[in-house]
Amino acid sequence: MSTPHATAIGGTSIRASLGQVEILHDISIHFPAGCWSSIVGPNGAGKSTLLKVLAGLLPHSGEVRLLGQPLLRVAGRSRAQQLAWLGQNEGTGDDLTVWDVAMLGRLPYQRWLDSPSAADHSAVEQALRATQAWDWRARALGQLSGGERQRVLLARALAVQAQVLLMDEPLANLDPPHQSDWLAVVRALVQQGKTVVSVLHEISFALHADQMVVMAQGRVAHQGACADGATHRALEAVFDGRIAIHALGHQWVALPVVSSP
Amino acid sequence: MTSRRFFTLILSCWLLAAGSVQALQVTDDRGVVVTFARAPQRIVSLLPSLTESVCALGQCRRLVGVDRYSNYPESVQALPQVGGGLDPNLEAVVALKPDVVLMATSAPVGERLQSLGIKVIALEPKTHADVRRVLEAIGRLLEVNDAAQVWRNIEAGMLAAVRSLPPGADRTRVYFEVNSAPYAASESSFIGETLSRLGVKNIVPGNLGPFPKLNPEFVVRANPDVIMVGDRSYAGLQGRPGWPGIRAIREGQVCVFTAAQADVVVRPGPRMAESAQIMARCLLGSLS
Amino acid sequence: MTALYRQQRLAYLLGLGLLLASALLALLGASVGSTGFESVLRVWDDPLALQIVQDIRMPRTLGAWLAGALLGLAGAVAQGLFRNPLADPYLLGSASGASMGVALALVLFGVSPFAAQWLVRLGLTGAAFAGAVAAVLLTLLLARGVQHTLRLLLAGVIVGVVLGAMSSLIMMLAPEIMQAMQAFMLGSTGFVGWSACVVMAVVWMLCLLLAWLLSSALDGLSLGEATAASLGLPLLQVRSLLIGVLALATGTAVAQTGMIAFVGLAAPHLVRSVVRTTHRNLIALSSLMGGVLLLAADTLARGLLAPQELPVGVLTAVLGGGYLLWLMNRSSRIASGSGLS
Repeated sequence: MSTPHATAIGGTSIRASLGQVEILHDISIHFPAGCWSSIVGPNGAGKSTLLKVLAGLLPHSGEVRLLGQPLLRVAGRSRAQQLAWLGQNEGTGDDLTVWDVAMLGRLPYQRWLDSPSAADHSAVEQALRATQAWDWRARALGQLSGGERQRVLLARALAVQAQVLLMDEPLANLDPPHQSDWLAVVRALVQQGKTVVSVLHEISFALHADQMVVMAQGRVAHQGACADGATHRALEAVFDGRIAIHALGHQWVALPVVSSP
Repeated sequence: MTSRRFFTLILSCWLLAAGSVQALQVTDDRGVVVTFARAPQRIVSLLPSLTESVCALGQCRRLVGVDRYSNYPESVQALPQVGGGLDPNLEAVVALKPDVVLMATSAPVGERLQSLGIKVIALEPKTHADVRRVLEAIGRLLEVNDAAQVWRNIEAGMLAAVRSLPPGADRTRVYFEVNSAPYAASESSFIGETLSRLGVKNIVPGNLGPFPKLNPEFVVRANPDVIMVGDRSYAGLQGRPGWPGIRAIREGQVCVFTAAQADVVVRPGPRMAESAQIMARCLLGSLS
Repeated sequence: MTALYRQQRLAYLLGLGLLLASALLALLGASVGSTGFESVLRVWDDPLALQIVQDIRMPRTLGAWLAGALLGLAGAVAQGLFRNPLADPYLLGSASGASMGVALALVLFGVSPFAAQWLVRLGLTGAAFAGAVAAVLLTLLLARGVQHTLRLLLAGVIVGVVLGAMSSLIMMLAPEIMQAMQAFMLGSTGFVGWSACVVMAVVWMLCLLLAWLLSSALDGLSLGEATAASLGLPLLQVRSLLIGVLALATGTAVAQTGMIAFVGLAAPHLVRSVVRTTHRNLIALSSLMGGVLLLAADTLARGLLAPQELPVGVLTAVLGGGYLLWLMNRSSRIASGSGLS
C-alpha cells in the first residue's frame, strides 16, 4: 500500500520489562491500517515482547492505541473482537477437535452459554477452508502433526474476523506450500482493509510484506517499505552484515553470507 | 586338713556353678529365651499394660523409663519418657542403662535393642489369661514371691463386679464402640471377654475379629439395650441417621466413659477388675 | 458435519448411560447393607428393614453419588484450570486442610467435650469443611492471588505437605484419635443422612451451574493464558470463580465422606476415553461419571465383607485405577501395533 492510512495500532514511549530486565527501551511505533507489516530482528531483540505489549498482554509503561482509542479504555470483549492475537508455542487442548479449537476464536462474540450462531459457523468454516483444515475438522488436535496444528491455530485467529491481527511466528512448522498459502491469506485480508502485523523469523517471507520494522536490542532500528533499499541496508546492518538481500525476479530474498572456503 | 579345705573349695565351686546354672530364664511371647544372672533392677517399659503389671507387683521403684503412653500409676508420670512404644528413642533407652526392656511383641525395635546389647522381653497381654501369664512371667523375672496373690486379688475384684449384677443381666445386649468410625469391640477382644464375664451379650460376634469396622446399619438392626462409648464419640451419637431409634438411645442407656475411665476399660492389663467394675456400675444403672 | 454431530451425540448417549447406571446402582445400593445383599423390593413387610432402608441406606446411596458427582466436577475443573491431566481436586491443599480440621476437632472433643458446645454443633463435618476452605485460602495467600498457575500449584503442594505433617504431629501427640482419623482419611459414607444429602445436592447444583457458565472460559484457557486473555476472557474473575467452585465442591465432599482419592482424577479421564468434547459437556459428564464411580465403590465396600465395611478410598482406587490401567495398556498396544511411537 503506498498511500498512508490512519494508524491501526501503535504505541508511544513503550517500556516493558521481564522481571528485572528492561526489554523494550522507549519504543514509539505506528502500524498503518490496511497494511501488512512484518517485524524482524535478531534473537532477543524484543519482537515478541513488543507484539504482546501491543496486544495488551504485558504490563508496560507508555500508551498503546488501537484504532484510534487507548487500548486500556477499550472494553475486553470489543477489544477481543477488534484485535486477534496468535502466539508462539501456546499450549493446546489436545482433546478438542479442530472444529472446536477454531470455534474458540468466536468466544468474543458469544455470551456465556450461547450456542454457536450461524455467523459463528460461517466464520469458522471460512477460516478452516482458508487454512486447508476443513477436511479434518473432526480430528482431535492431539492427532495432528506440528504443521497441521499450526494451521488450525491460524484458523482460530482468522475466525475472530478482527480488524487487526497480531501474529507471532505464524509460519512455525509450516512447509513451503502452506507458507505460500498463508501469504495468500494475509494478502486477501489486507485487500479487505484489515491490518496484519507479524513477527517473522523467515526474512525472505518478511520481505513480501508492505512494511517492515527492523528491531535490535529493544529498539526500533528502522521502519520502512520492504521494497526500499534503506530497509534492506538496515536489515543487513542489524544482522552484522551476515545476511545479504538479493533481488530474485519480483521478490527480494535474504541469504546468509557464507565466506568462501 | 588340706584335703578338707580342698573338699570345701570344690563344694563351694560346685555350689557357685549350680547357683549360676539356676540363673533366671524367661521365655517371652516371641518364644525367645532370655537369661539373667540376677533379677533386673533397672527396667524400661514400652507398653502401658506392662508398666502397670510391674507396678501391680509392687516393683514400681525398679522402673527407670517408660513410653509416653504409660500414665498409671501417677508415679510413673515423673519418670523419663523414651518416646512411643513402637518408635522409642533408642539413645534415650540406652542412656538409662536398663537391665531389661519390656515391650510389646509387635514392636520391631526389639532387634535393634538386642543388637545394642540390651536384653529385651516381649510380652503382650491380649486376653484375661494373658494378664495372669504376664504377671507371673514378670513376677518370676523380678523374683517377686506374691505374683499369684496379685492375680487372686484381681480375680476377686472381677468376681465382685460380676456378682454385683442382678441375674437378669444375661438378657442385656451391649454394643461397645471403641471409636466413631465406627470400630466396635467384639466378643473376641479383651473388652468383649470382660463383658462375657459380666454375663451380658455382645451384639458383635467374635468371628469378625477383635475390632471390626462396622456398617452402622448393623448396630441399628441389632438394636442393643446398652451402648458403651467414650465421651469423644458420644457427641455425635444422636446425629447418626437411624440411630435415635435404637433402644439404648431412646431410653438413654448410654454409658459414657471419661478419658481416664476409657484408659482403664480399653487397656488389657492388671486393672481389668477396675474395668469390670466401671462397666458393671454402668450396667447396674441401666438394669434398674 | 456428521462427524462432529457424532461426538455430540456420543456425549448425550454417555450422559444417558451414566444416568441409567446411576439409577441401577442406586437400586443396588439400597439393597446392600449389613446383611449383605437383600433385595430392596422385599422390605415392605418388615418395618425395621423399611426404616433402615429409608433412614440409612437411601441417604447413604444418594450421598455416595452426590459426593462422587462433586469430586468428578471438581476434578474436571481442576484439570481445565491448571491445564494438567494429573490435576485432582485436592491440588490446593484442601485434603490436608480437612484432615487437620478433623484432627483438631477430635482432640478438642476429648479435651472438653461439653464446654465446646459450638464445636459439637459444628460437628466433624463442619470442622472438615472449615479446614478445607482455610487451606485453600492459605494457598491463595501464599501464591499472592490467582494469577500465576505455577505459583498456585507450588503453594498448594506446600500447604498440603505442611498441613499434612501437622495432622500427623497431632495424631502422634494424641494417639487415641488415630483410628478415627484413619477412618476419615480412607473415606466412608457411614453417617451420611438426609440433611447431608440436601447440603451436598444444593452445593452440587450451584457448582455445576457456575462451572457450566464458565465452561467456554475453561476451553479458552486450554489454548494458553495469553490467547485466553486476547480472546477477551476476564482471567482474574474467571480463575477466582473457578477456584471458588473447586474449594466449595471439594470441601463439601470431603466434609461429608472423608478423603476419597482418585475419583476426581479418574472421572474426567474416563469421560475423555469415550468422547472428545468441550468443557460444556465434559464438566457435566465428569460429574455423572464421578457419581457412578463412587456409588459403585461404596456399594462394593458395604457388600463385600458385610457387616464389616471396607474403606471406600481403596475401592475407588482399584476400580478407577484398574480401568485407567486397562485403557493405557490398550492405547499403547494400538500405538505399537500400528507402528507409531
